[in-house]
Amino acid sequence: MSPLLEVSGLTIRFGGLAAISDLSFTAARGEITAVIGPNGAGKTTLFNCITGFYRPHAGRLRLQHPDGSEWALERMRDHVIAARARVGRTFQNIRLFPRMTVIENLIVAQHRDLMRASVFSLAGLLGLGRYRTAEREALELSRFWLDRTGLLGFANSEAGSLPYGHQRRLEIARAMCTRPVVLCLDEPAAGLNPHESADLNLLLRRIRDEEGIGLLLIEHDMSVVMGISDRIVVLDHGILIAEGTPAEIRGNPAVIRAYLGEPESDQPAEEC
Amino acid sequence: MAAAPFLLPLRDAALAAVVAFLLALPLLGVRLVDSANGLSLAGRPELVAWAVGIVFCGHLLLQLIRSGFARFKPRRQETAPTSSRPPRPLRLIGGWSLALFAIALPFFPFADRTLIDKATLVLIYIMLGWGLNIVVGLAGLLDLGFVAFYAVGAYSYALLSQTFALSFWSCLPLAGLMAGAFALILGFPVLRLRGDYLAIVTMGFGETVRIVLQNWQSLTNGPIGISGIERPTLFGLSFKAYAPPGEQTFAQFFNIPFSPDQRITFLYFLILALALATNLFTLRIRRLPVGRAWEALREDEIACRSLGINPTTIKLSAFVLGAMFAGLAGSFFATRQGFISPESFTFLESAMIVAIVVLGGMGSQIGIVLAAVLLVGIPEWIRDLEQYRMLAFGGAMVLIMLWKPSGLLSSRTPTIRLGETA
Repeated sequence: MSPLLEVSGLTIRFGGLAAISDLSFTAARGEITAVIGPNGAGKTTLFNCITGFYRPHAGRLRLQHPDGSEWALERMRDHVIAARARVGRTFQNIRLFPRMTVIENLIVAQHRDLMRASVFSLAGLLGLGRYRTAEREALELSRFWLDRTGLLGFANSEAGSLPYGHQRRLEIARAMCTRPVVLCLDEPAAGLNPHESADLNLLLRRIRDEEGIGLLLIEHDMSVVMGISDRIVVLDHGILIAEGTPAEIRGNPAVIRAYLGEPESDQPAEEC
Repeated sequence: MAAAPFLLPLRDAALAAVVAFLLALPLLGVRLVDSANGLSLAGRPELVAWAVGIVFCGHLLLQLIRSGFARFKPRRQETAPTSSRPPRPLRLIGGWSLALFAIALPFFPFADRTLIDKATLVLIYIMLGWGLNIVVGLAGLLDLGFVAFYAVGAYSYALLSQTFALSFWSCLPLAGLMAGAFALILGFPVLRLRGDYLAIVTMGFGETVRIVLQNWQSLTNGPIGISGIERPTLFGLSFKAYAPPGEQTFAQFFNIPFSPDQRITFLYFLILALALATNLFTLRIRRLPVGRAWEALREDEIACRSLGINPTTIKLSAFVLGAMFAGLAGSFFATRQGFISPESFTFLESAMIVAIVVLGGMGSQIGIVLAAVLLVGIPEWIRDLEQYRMLAFGGAMVLIMLWKPSGLLSSRTPTIRLGETA
């Protein structure tokens, strides 16, 4: 598998506390890489570094696009990373645009493409044809992801009025509408029931196989982690303690000690 | 326990009466009396008793009415949020009929000079409300210094026309650009602030502009203000009684007798056109990427950043466009009054415009019209109440906020639907 994201020597401190120290690992295209670890291990901090919300104190984050271009994420600002380096993300506590409709949420995600087509909205203001075409294409992409996430029937309802599980899926659909090359999912199964959780596994596998992008996944739900990850990265107190396939991680004594507890325990989803 | 339903309203009313007593005691209960040995205090227990009695009975009555309603329509409370949203065609019809009514207004027999004048004033506030709606209602940036851009527009026109003898029509876009440029300069450093902080800084900016206008004597003529500002013309036709040499007046051109009402009506149509242009612009831009990004930014800035939206430029565009419309309204204000001074651009004006937007329901265009009519129109029409005017006004506000806590029209129309366009 071709390398997608290369993290090397990543370090970030908050005051005296090293949230992540000297972390290195590689995520590949077409794979799901799970990042696990106990609470406070630095998982979300890692995501915030990758997506530019935090700036690391040391280390490199190299993202490789399919066309061969390389992006130094540690030097870019958050919205530039999303727009140009094409890193999509979802949030631990869902961040939708609650008073806008589902379809509007997805159209906003395609802001950059639509802005370019509408010449910063000027051409759109005059009602030129090029913008109409772009908007139609944006609607088609939205429809595609609504269909994929099973939300087609909710397209015109307010995002904030959707049930919790639907909101989680909508957030994934919205992130996919930015056409990312890597998608960072922060606890997508949190608060889902076992049935929804199984659906999520299916959806994530499908995204990996059909879109050919890489997925980074923070998750506490071991049925999700063990079921769909190709590789697992285990953090504890900001330090990488293990890396490998689910089978390797399952048997790793350091991981068991730090996080999993009993080897056969399938921990239920943690409420957040 | 059985008696509780009857006692509960009584207890609430008694509580309200106690509060009324505490309030009325210092406000109504004592009064200064001028007696032989200087001022002394005299009690007015009968007024306090009246106030307490009225509050007690009123509260009781209100509760009885409310419980009566509750029994009559038990589910009214639950369905209210959804049922208050008129369907889209109804809104469209409402909007168009309002616009048509506004166009026809000067031709109604009851439309005398004062009515048109008041309607013009209301329209200025509607336009300001629509302008601020871009900033507050759509982009969610609480701007308490909006009047600063209004002032910049007004002074731009007044100074440009007096210094360079430019006409109203060439100054109008310049005034808009000037206000926009001011917003750009202020917006750059300020828009990284959020919520309350932004509100305070913009409020400070509003006051700064007023104080500069007041003290920059050499340019703005200070507190004396600028008078004799040129009136607008219609394609070169002035609305004066006698035309300057080489020009024609409106009355001469159409060969009708001169009347000052012509100018009033013309000004009315002018602000109506400006306001409608603001409205059309907003309605259109809401459905464009920038407009959607404004609303998304209002909802969640962090999510916007994760989607590749640059919050600074998007906020700045809302701030500048809103200010531009304030600048246009300002130059209209200057040409209508013929006189401007820093007095017209106090914080109270900013607060009024924000109140119009909030009362209208944050983002609703028709809501702003209703709110402007209420907030500007009512105090004008109830001038007969004299010193009780502000009391009645305040009372009306309280009633509206009780009746519609989230604004008159608080629902938003989606900017795009799946299924219709695709």
